[in-house]
Amino acid sequence: MLAVVTSTACAQPGLVLSDEEQAWLQRHSVIRLSPDPNFAPVEWFNQHDDYSGVSSDYARLLEQRLGIRFEIVRGKNWKDVLSLVKVGEADALSAIVQTPEREQFLAFSQPYFRLKRAVFSNRPLERINSLDDLKGHKIAVVEGSWMDETLTGKANMSINRFQDLATALIATSLGVTDVTGSAFDTMAFTRRDEGLTNLRLVGELPHDIPLSFAVSRTLAPLAPILDKALASITPAEAAQIRSRWVEIGEPPFWDRPVYRYTALGLLTLLLAGMAVVIIWNRMLNARVRERSQQLQDAQAQLIHAEKMESIGRLSAGVAHEVKNPLAIIQMGADYLSQVMTPGGGVGEVIADIDDAVHRADQVIKGLLDFSHDDELELKPGDINAVVEDSLRLVGHEFRQRDIQVETELAPALPPVAMDANRIQQVLINILMNAAQAMENAGRVRICSGLGENTPNLENYLFPAGESVLRLTIADNGSGISEENLAKLFDPFFTTKPVGAGTGLGLSVSRNIIELHGGKLGICNAPGGGAQVTIEFRLEAGEKL
Amino acid sequence: MKKRILVVDDEVAMTRMVKLNLEQTGNYEVRTENKGRLAIDAAREFRPDLMLLDIMMPGVTGDEIAAQIKQDPSLSNIKFIFVTAIVTRDETDDSAADIGGNIFLAKPVKAQELIETIERVLAS
Repeated sequence: MLAVVTSTACAQPGLVLSDEEQAWLQRHSVIRLSPDPNFAPVEWFNQHDDYSGVSSDYARLLEQRLGIRFEIVRGKNWKDVLSLVKVGEADALSAIVQTPEREQFLAFSQPYFRLKRAVFSNRPLERINSLDDLKGHKIAVVEGSWMDETLTGKANMSINRFQDLATALIATSLGVTDVTGSAFDTMAFTRRDEGLTNLRLVGELPHDIPLSFAVSRTLAPLAPILDKALASITPAEAAQIRSRWVEIGEPPFWDRPVYRYTALGLLTLLLAGMAVVIIWNRMLNARVRERSQQLQDAQAQLIHAEKMESIGRLSAGVAHEVKNPLAIIQMGADYLSQVMTPGGGVGEVIADIDDAVHRADQVIKGLLDFSHDDELELKPGDINAVVEDSLRLVGHEFRQRDIQVETELAPALPPVAMDANRIQQVLINILMNAAQAMENAGRVRICSGLGENTPNLENYLFPAGESVLRLTIADNGSGISEENLAKLFDPFFTTKPVGAGTGLGLSVSRNIIELHGGKLGICNAPGGGAQVTIEFRLEAGEKL
Repeated sequence: MKKRILVVDDEVAMTRMVKLNLEQTGNYEVRTENKGRLAIDAAREFRPDLMLLDIMMPGVTGDEIAAQIKQDPSLSNIKFIFVTAIVTRDETDDSAADIGGNIFLAKPVKAQELIETIERVLAS
């Protein structure tokens, strides 16, 4: 007697169950199903511990069609799963090959899914196309699997049994066994999952692996019911399940771990290389800028030095040639003053000649400083003492001009290796310039002290980080125009009236300071007026 | 008795001016020589008490002339003053400077300063 599908089952065209079958199902609405926990992608438990894979989809369809519920019973491995059914703790298996041995305690459905049998190895082997080709190789198999049962008893087979497929494949990957035999799809899945990139397909065996549902002999009536339900699954549904879980053939190359790791490594190398190139490029640019600046500075210094050397050389010759006629003029004037009768302006003429000779001699003296400026007599000295001596020498001039002097000289400064006379020459030159730059009743402030040049320090001369002894001489005059600032150290540049200055003082002064290893700079002070800064680099032992 | 002064300088006008200024005092008998290499012969002939020597002259320097004269025992009493353009007045400290046992005067030198220096050297 036939009846249409039970009310608890979903209406499904083509599925027709007998009354007995329906009645049986009503009595057995819960079936304890024990999937292989390590047989991906056919069946396994995913990271969320959910029953997954091909058989899980089939099981769910069967639940829908038959109105039953599969209660999942977890086994530790395939052997354990088989034992659970044997001892009655589970009712059914969802992916198993029918064999005579298993028929003794299981009733099988028709196969619902087929897998290709394959052999993987960690080294190239001659192509394996049959079970006989496995002879002589150490073969890894899952204990109790169909492969195990197929090979057992065959002559000259070296079988190594493992609890699950992953362990079997790892053994082959490490060379403990020569090959692993199992279903291609499950081995490919596990190989990728475990990152066993050295394993490769070395052969396919004849005969697919036909997977069926199986139930305990005590529930044998369920087997034909399952057959009917499985038969109701359309080819489209079956294809959907297959495509969902099983890859066709080898995974695409971009999905292989070896490719991914290689690509990741190459990408990392590429990025690292690019980073190195960018950093290197920036460092090179910075060095080029720095070197260009150094080159410009060196060129400027060279031009200045050449100019000074030329002037120095020229000056020595010119001085000698001019001093002789000056001497003749001087002697001539002196003689005339003796022999000529005073009156009629003779005295004034003689005095004018004397004055002119004196002025010319002063210019010559300035010129000769160029030819002598590399001759220093260095002795350790107190810069403050030189400042005070210089102030005494210009005292008369300052008093006449009503110029006030303020000093702030730091006590106990370290001695500076210097030619005191030349440093005094520099200070007198600067002080006289200051006096001439100010109207009457001006003020000059002189400070000395130790300091460390920092990047935010304005107008420092040595680079940041240098410890220096610094001397500043500031006036409250009109300051220096931007245009003149650039020319201050050019020989013969002067803003003084004709006859009042040779324009050599500052260039000579800077030369003298640089011969001492120091630096001399001039800027406009923030509060008005000009400020001269002189810095001497401190020796290592004197660093702040 | 007038002291004898031999003036050696390659500048003719310079020797003339020195001669005029010294003779103007009435205390000196002055002879001039403008060729440095003839200065030693002139010294042997004139037997000066003091020589005014320029230093930078064509062919021979004033200090070389002085060195040769000092080696001649018959001329060993001659005293020297170098009147030169190669030092500055600063270096001679506005007066004759004793540099290595020699007296230097920087050109341009005033006649009065020259005369005072000559008197001092002759008196020493």
